[in-house]
Amino acid sequence: MNIVELKNVTRVYTAGDHEMKALDGVDLTLEEGRFIVVLGPSGAGKSTLLNMLGGLDSPTSGTVVVGGKDISTLSNDELAEYRAETVGFVFQSYNLIPTLTVLENVALVKEIATDPLSSHDMLRAVGLEDHMKNFPSELSGGEQQRVSIARALAKNPKILLCDEPTGALDSETGVLVLKLLLKMAREYGKTIIIVTHNQNIAKMADTVIQVKNGKIKSCTDQENPLSADEVDW
Amino acid sequence: MLFRKLIRTMGLYKAQFISMIIMIALGIGVFTGFNMEWYTLDVNVNEALEESGFADFRLVSEKGFSAEERDKIAAIDGVKRAARYLSVNTTVKDMGVDVLALTVTENIGVSGFYLMEGDKYDPESETAIWVSDKYADANNFKVGDKITLKYKDSEFEFEIRGLVKSSEYLICVPDSTQLMPDFDTYGYGFITPKALEKVFGAEFYTQINVHSDMEKADFIKAADKALGVTSMVLSKDDTVSYSEAQGEIEEGQTMGNILPVLFLAIAILTMVTTMHRLTASEKTQIGTFKALGFKDKRIVRHYTAFALFIGVMGTILGIGLGYFLGWFVMNPNGAMGTYIDMRSWTLYMPWFCWIVLVIIILFLVLIGYLSVKSMLKGTAAEALRPYSPKKMKRMRIEEKKFFKRLGFGTKWNLRDTLRHKSRTFMTLFGMVGCMVLLIGCFGMNDTLNAFVDSFYEKAINYELKINLDTENITNEHAMEIAEKYQGDWCASMSVQIGEDPYGVEIYDTPHDKVRFIDDAMETTTLGDDGAYICERIADELDLKEGSSLTFSPFGSDKSYTVTIAGVTRAMAKTVQMTRTYADKAGIDYIISTVYTDSTNIESDPMILNTQTRSAIIESFDVFMELMVTMVAMLVAAAVILGIVVLYNLGIMSYTERYREMATLKVIGFKDKKIGRLLISQNLWLTVIGVMIGIPIGYGVLDYLLTALASEYEMVLVIKPLTYLVSTALTFGVSLLVGLMIARKNKYINMVEALKCAE
Repeated sequence: MNIVELKNVTRVYTAGDHEMKALDGVDLTLEEGRFIVVLGPSGAGKSTLLNMLGGLDSPTSGTVVVGGKDISTLSNDELAEYRAETVGFVFQSYNLIPTLTVLENVALVKEIATDPLSSHDMLRAVGLEDHMKNFPSELSGGEQQRVSIARALAKNPKILLCDEPTGALDSETGVLVLKLLLKMAREYGKTIIIVTHNQNIAKMADTVIQVKNGKIKSCTDQENPLSADEVDW
Repeated sequence: MLFRKLIRTMGLYKAQFISMIIMIALGIGVFTGFNMEWYTLDVNVNEALEESGFADFRLVSEKGFSAEERDKIAAIDGVKRAARYLSVNTTVKDMGVDVLALTVTENIGVSGFYLMEGDKYDPESETAIWVSDKYADANNFKVGDKITLKYKDSEFEFEIRGLVKSSEYLICVPDSTQLMPDFDTYGYGFITPKALEKVFGAEFYTQINVHSDMEKADFIKAADKALGVTSMVLSKDDTVSYSEAQGEIEEGQTMGNILPVLFLAIAILTMVTTMHRLTASEKTQIGTFKALGFKDKRIVRHYTAFALFIGVMGTILGIGLGYFLGWFVMNPNGAMGTYIDMRSWTLYMPWFCWIVLVIIILFLVLIGYLSVKSMLKGTAAEALRPYSPKKMKRMRIEEKKFFKRLGFGTKWNLRDTLRHKSRTFMTLFGMVGCMVLLIGCFGMNDTLNAFVDSFYEKAINYELKINLDTENITNEHAMEIAEKYQGDWCASMSVQIGEDPYGVEIYDTPHDKVRFIDDAMETTTLGDDGAYICERIADELDLKEGSSLTFSPFGSDKSYTVTIAGVTRAMAKTVQMTRTYADKAGIDYIISTVYTDSTNIESDPMILNTQTRSAIIESFDVFMELMVTMVAMLVAAAVILGIVVLYNLGIMSYTERYREMATLKVIGFKDKKIGRLLISQNLWLTVIGVMIGIPIGYGVLDYLLTALASEYEMVLVIKPLTYLVSTALTFGVSLLVGLMIARKNKYINMVEALKCAE
C-alpha cells in the first residue's frame, strides 16, 4: 500500500526578485512500512521534501497525499492536526523543551495525539528509564536524541521523519541511535524517512532516493539492505 | 559601518526600543511634570506675593484701629511697613447674589494689587475702584464701567479705573467652607482711603497689615506691648491664600515623591532586563566582532550607544511630556488656574531635576556597558558561542505530589517563570504598578466624592445662608430673623488657643438645617454636654474626649474652659458646640449667620448678604471636574505603563521561547493552544500582581491622605466598584497584550526556527 504520493510538486522560494526552485516537478510514490533514505548534497531540496511530507511547508503547486489524505490544501489548524496524528519528527538538533523533564517531554504528546503510546514504555524502549526525571540539559547528545525518538514514536504516527538524526552525534553514538530507530520502526511497524548526506546510512535502507537540484534523480529499492553492524562506519 | 549596523539593529528590535523609549519618557515625563508643577507654583506664588505686597502679619480688631495705633506698630523694631487695611463684603447692585470684597489699604505697597489693565492707583481719587480682573471678566465689567455696591442699607457708585490681581485674594473664596473660587459670584475691588472716608463718613479699618521678618511669637509680644492689649495676630500661615497655596505646593511635592519614583523604577528595571536580553541575543555577533579583531572598547562603545540613544531619546521626549503635564495643570485656564489667581504662569523646572536626568542617562549607559561587558568575557571563541540561559535544575516543589498532577501547560509556565526570574519579577512589578496607580486614582476619586458628599450634600440642609452684621446686631434681633424664616443659627468667633487662632462655632439647630459630620463621615448631632473639636485640632493640640480646652476670643480678656465631648470632621479648623452648652459654660457670643430654606428675604439693615446653597455647591463641581481630569490622566498613564511593560517583556519571552514554540507547533500543537499557554502565564502573574497591588495601592492612598490631612479631613474610601474596575482593567491590559503576542504564533517559521543547531 502506498503511504506517500507526490504529484508534480513544485516549491518556489522568492527573495526579492530572485526565485529559487527548491523542488521542481517532483513525482514520488512510497510504500508503507519501509525504511527510506533520501540522499543528496546541500541545497538539493531534500529537507524541503521532508518539510512537505511533515506538513511544515506547503507546495507552490502539485499535490502531496499522505496516508490517502491530500495535505497540500489543508488550513493551519488542519495541518497541526495532521502533524499531531500522522507524522513524528526527529531533528538533528533534538529540539526538546528545556523546561520539561525527559518524561514530560515525551508525555507532552498526550496533549494532542488521540492514540498516544505510554511515555514510560517508550522511554524504557529507548533505554532511558533511569533518566525520566532529568532535564534535557543533564543528558548527553545521544541520550537527548533518544528522548526525541521516544517523543516522536509516542504519538503513534504512521511515518517517522528524521532530518540528519545523527548529524550532531559522534559516529559510535550515531550508530546506536540508527539501530534504535530501525528497531523501533520495525517493532511498531512505522515507515521511516531519513534525510541525510551520509552515504553509509543509505546502505541500510529499503529504498534510496537521490535528490539533486530539486528533482528526483533516482529512486531505487535495495533487495538486501545491510544491518547497522555490517556497515563499515 | 558600525553606525549602519546600529541603525539596522534598532530596526530589528524596534518593539523593544520603542517600548524602552516610551517607558523612560513616561517615567521622566511624570517625574519632571510633577516636580515642575509644585516648583512652578512655588516660584510664581512667591512672585505674586512679592509684587502686590502680601502682608507678613495682620492685627485684627472688629472695633477698628486708629492712626496712632498704626504708628505704634510701625515703630516696632523689625517692622518694615505697617498700613491699616479693611476688607468688607458688599453686594453688587443688579447682579443677583454677587458679593464684592471692598478693600482699602492705606499704603498700596502693603496688601495692594498688581495692575493688569487700566489706570494706575491714584490715592487722591474718591470715586475710583480697581476691580479683580477675573470677576470683571466673569461679569462683563470693563474699565470705565460704573459699579454700584450696597453695604447694609447704603449704596455707593464707583467707576472702574483698572483691573487688578491681588495676592491677598490669591485664592479668592469668601470663607474656608468654599473649596474653589467662583468669580461669577464673588470678587474683590480696591478703593482709596479717601473714597472710604467719603463712603463711611469716617476712617474705619479692622486690620493693621505689616511687612516684617520677625518671628510670629516675637511680633505678637512686641505688638501687645506697643498697643497695651492682647490683639489677634494672623501670620501668613493663618490666611487662606497663603496656607492653601503652600498646601498645594506641599501636596505637589508629596505626589512628586511617590508617582514618579514608581514610574522611574519600572522604567529602569525594564531597561536592565531589556539591555541584558538584547546583548544576549546579539552574543554571537559580539563574538564575531571580537574574532574579526575589533577591540573590546569599540564593541562596548557600539553597544552602549544603544543605551545612550534610548536614554537621550527617552529624556528628550520625557522633558516634552513633563512640560506638557506641567502646562496642563499650571496654566491660567488649567486645573490650578481655576483655583489660584496669579499673574505669571511661567513654567520652571527645579534644578535637581536636571541632575536627576543626567544621572538617569548615565545610569542607562552603565546598564548597557555592564550588559555588553558580561557578553565579552573570555576569549573570542567563548564570546562566539551563543548565549545559553541557566541550566534547568529541579526545584523542591517538583517533589510534591500536587506538582506531578499539574497539566503540561502549568508545569511549562511555572518552570519558565521560575527560570526567568528577572522577567517574571519585571512583569509582576509592571502589574503591581498598574494596579497601585488604578486603585490610587479611583480610590482618590471615591474618597473625594465621599468627602464632598458628606460635607456638602449631607451637611448642608438649607437653601440660603444669611450673613448678619455682627458689629451692630443683637442676639434678640438675630433670633427673630431665624424664627421668622424658620432657620437655624450659628455664632462664630475667632479665638486664640495657645498662640494660634482657631474658630469657635455655637449652633442652635431646631430645624435640622445644619448637620455635623462624625468620624465615619456620617451625619451626627451635637450633644449638650461638651464641645466638639475637629480632627485637626485634636491632632495638633493632642486632645481627646474628656480633655478640657481653654480659649479666649480675640479682642477680649475673658477666657473659657470647655470639656471635649467628641471629635467631628469639619471643613475649617473649628470647635463646635450647642447653644445650650455654650450658655452653660457662660460663653459670650453674637449670632453671625442664619440658615434657612426661605429664599425670599425681606430687606433688613442687619443682613449683610446671603449665599445660596447652589452657589456653594457649584464651586465643588468645578473641584470635582478637575479631579476627574486628573484621575483620567493617571488612569491612562497606568494603562500605558501596563501595556508597555507587558508588551516589551512579552516580546522578549516570545523571542526566547520561539524555538520551543516552533517545536510544539511541529509536534502538532495548534496556534490557539500555544497562545493559551502564553496568555495563561501573563494571567497568573496578573493574579499575583493584583493581590500585591491592592494592599500597596491602599497604603499609597493612605499615605497621600495623611500628607493632605493638614488641608482636608478626609476618610479613605475605596468602593468595591473601584477594586472591581481596577482589577478588570489590569486583567484587560494583561489579556490584550497576551492576545497581541499570541497572534504572532501564526507566523512562527517552523523550518527556520528548528534549522539552527543548539
